Amino acid sequence: MDIGTIVAGILTLAILTFLYRDNPIYKMAESILIGVAIGYILVITWTNSLMALLFKPLFGAGEGWLLVPLLLGLMMFGRLFKKTSLLSRIPIGVLIGSGAGVAIPAMLEARTLRQLSATVSPVIADGSLDISMLVILVGVLSTLIYFYFSREQVGWWGKTAKLGTYFLMIFFGTTFGYTVMSRMSTFIGRMEFLLTDFLRIIN
Amino acid sequence: MRLESRHWVFLGLFLVILLSMLLQIDLGVKVSQDTQRMHDYIENLPPGSVLMLSFDHEASSLPEIRPLALAVLRHAFANGHKLIGVALLAEGTGIGYRLMEQVGKEYGKVYGEDYAFLGFKPQYIAAMLSMGESIRQTFPEDYLGRPYDDLPMLAGITNYEQVDGVISIADGSLTTHWVEYAGNQYGVRVSAAVAAAMVTTYDPYLASGQMHAMIGGLRGAAEYEQLIHRGGSGLRGMLAQTAAHVYVILMIIAGNVVYFLNRKKGRKR
Repeated sequence: MDIGTIVAGILTLAILTFLYRDNPIYKMAESILIGVAIGYILVITWTNSLMALLFKPLFGAGEGWLLVPLLLGLMMFGRLFKKTSLLSRIPIGVLIGSGAGVAIPAMLEARTLRQLSATVSPVIADGSLDISMLVILVGVLSTLIYFYFSREQVGWWGKTAKLGTYFLMIFFGTTFGYTVMSRMSTFIGRMEFLLTDFLRIIN
Repeated sequence: MRLESRHWVFLGLFLVILLSMLLQIDLGVKVSQDTQRMHDYIENLPPGSVLMLSFDHEASSLPEIRPLALAVLRHAFANGHKLIGVALLAEGTGIGYRLMEQVGKEYGKVYGEDYAFLGFKPQYIAAMLSMGESIRQTFPEDYLGRPYDDLPMLAGITNYEQVDGVISIADGSLTTHWVEYAGNQYGVRVSAAVAAAMVTTYDPYLASGQMHAMIGGLRGAAEYEQLIHRGGSGLRGMLAQTAAHVYVILMIIAGNVVYFLNRKKGRKR
């Protein structure tokens, strides 16, 4: 058995001790996880990003324009001192401005326009009723009515809003069910590791 | 050592899963339409097609993500496709490389000729958009520090136009960004292999045709393993998953019964 498997097995068991109650063994494993993850991210960011995209091309290939992002990046550290904290607003402004400019049209298209277009597809196609499309249409309209707060939810308006809440509950239930399934899968995966690789009880 | 009711519930779940795994019964699964679609998509691509696999997940979701990634990798390699691996979350980097290397060896694939792993880039939106212009400029070197131009399989691959599809292996929302920036803006076909918790998030994208195919969770992995006739953690875990779900349902019923009985007692008093 290699050292990696032994360490992973011991740390898995240490994390599982939390199921009894919070304890120093769990705390130790948790701290190791956080420390290793941050260390790993730092190393990967340094080698794959800063070295490959900034320092090597700037100092190796003489791509002078890279001084601009380098300078903007350094200005971020201005936040560390009171006197220079204003400097950090410039790179933050660049990030927010460019980020919003890129994100708004993309999100509007993917999350609103295309979804809207798919929602209003014909309910009757080739002479027959498309039940799925009908459910989607009724679900979207009734849920939107539930979130329309400028009119009192009484009468047929209120009943439609109520129907919207049922659609919402079905969605929450499905999402919760999937989440439970996801967490069970994670636990089963760790159990498989413990029983096969670590304890070698099963093949 | 004082055990409370929640400890007994945990212990019960542990025993249910342990016994299910020791039994090692292959339940088999009914393949869903979504999984079949994903399988057919990879199956029907001509051999030598270029697929980009993006490992957009953290290490904590590995038990669920690994069976999905292995099943897709095995199918893609078995069909002779060329694979480019990237990671847009740092923790997916080492995992992605190891998985590609493992499955590459299983199928006798050569690094640099049949597959390549380009590594991690921060700022995932910038990375996705940048690859639309030039993958080489986004990743001047691969994960191992070799220049992009030294990898024969990458010759002629400039941007998404030469990539037949992107498969995002994710445990969070990064697949949405693949759809928004690579799919809608550059027209590359985006598919996903995601943790079960994310299935309902991506279903609307699948229904609206913005995402081509999707498999989700351990069940998705099990279905895919069945389709490629290659058993793995997905199929092995199905009995445990089923038993655990039955156990949870029984606990919910028991909890409700106890709650209503207590309420009834309270009224009588």
